[in-house]
Amino acid sequence: MTQSHYKSLSDRWRARHQNLTKNLWIKHGESLEWLANNYRQLISGSLGGLMILTGQISNTLPSAPIAATQPAIPNLDKKTFLISDLAQILPKDVRPLEAEEEQNICDILSRTYGIKVTPELEGKRLNRSYGFIGAEQHLIRYPGDNLSSHFDSDEDSELYWQQGMAPGLGAWSYFSPSKEASTQKDKDREKYYIAVPTFLSKDFNSRFAEYRDFYKYRKMLVVNPNNGRAIVADIADAGPAESTGKQLGGSPEVMHYLERFDGSLKGPVLYFFINDPDDKINLGPVTPI
Amino acid sequence: MKKKYFYSHIIDTSTLSLELNEMDLTSIERLHLISLVESNIHQEIINLILSELSLPDKKIFLAHLASENHDKIWEFLNSKINDAEEKIKKTVEDLKSELHKDIKEIKS
Repeated sequence: MTQSHYKSLSDRWRARHQNLTKNLWIKHGESLEWLANNYRQLISGSLGGLMILTGQISNTLPSAPIAATQPAIPNLDKKTFLISDLAQILPKDVRPLEAEEEQNICDILSRTYGIKVTPELEGKRLNRSYGFIGAEQHLIRYPGDNLSSHFDSDEDSELYWQQGMAPGLGAWSYFSPSKEASTQKDKDREKYYIAVPTFLSKDFNSRFAEYRDFYKYRKMLVVNPNNGRAIVADIADAGPAESTGKQLGGSPEVMHYLERFDGSLKGPVLYFFINDPDDKINLGPVTPI
Repeated sequence: MKKKYFYSHIIDTSTLSLELNEMDLTSIERLHLISLVESNIHQEIINLILSELSLPDKKIFLAHLASENHDKIWEFLNSKINDAEEKIKKTVEDLKSELHKDIKEIKS
């Protein structure tokens, strides 16, 4: 009982805080940007009062409550600049981005994270690059995988058990043929997966095999523009349907890290292809360089 | 002891703390929820104040906020905003009502 009450309240109040921060930047962005550019000259003590800049709050249960509510100094300016830069480009409504908007945002993200991102790769692109993300369930990784075998630690189990296991397989079936054959890469591909509407790509039906192979575990950088959190995810499922009002879905771990929620609290993310032909970039959370 | 924020002495979140105390939460969970209450209050207050100020005055306020000189902050606010303290109190009370409502909904 406590976990569900705690989680419900925590999710709701974190989402409220994010909306407040977003509105602050929309209404007072010029002043906040000025503060971001000058805070090093202005601060005298802790950075507690300046949490307005990043909107950063503790994501999960704190081990040291005070420290957990204060942003780390080295990350403050980088995330602040990112949020500020994105706020100046992103439209107020969550709609498909214009080509120039996409390019400007890709430039910012590539510079911030040191990862080359692009809305189009090998002549292929998704139907959009900015949209609402919904919550997906865990995917079955190999025959026999279930909630009891799915988590590496008790902590993960506590955090992610209740999201449940999807009844069907992902778009590319199992991640590995058996538990014994399962590698860390297979685990990460499920842990950090996103579902995108591959079927809405241009000429999808006539180029099915080409798209199927291209999208399989394709890496994308997914960014919450309201808090600057970013994660390298991979495409492992197709969806959601257009009728849901959501443009992509995230695994429980992706949603948790990005601090995004489903239902009435849903929020947008940016998502762009990562050009990583040599498979050198790890899946999982990334921080500004 | 210096208060955490310049407004700490005029707001009271004990009703929320008490209500959380009555819930079946661990102490860590309760602390985390209280920190979220504080964060939400902070953003609401900053939004209120910035919405009442001109662009040059916003920067002055933010500079005072960054310096954590509470006396200067209040001196400035009282010179720029009518009934600043009352407006802050009302904003916080409105937010507290919403947070209490959230708790009630989740418990029901």
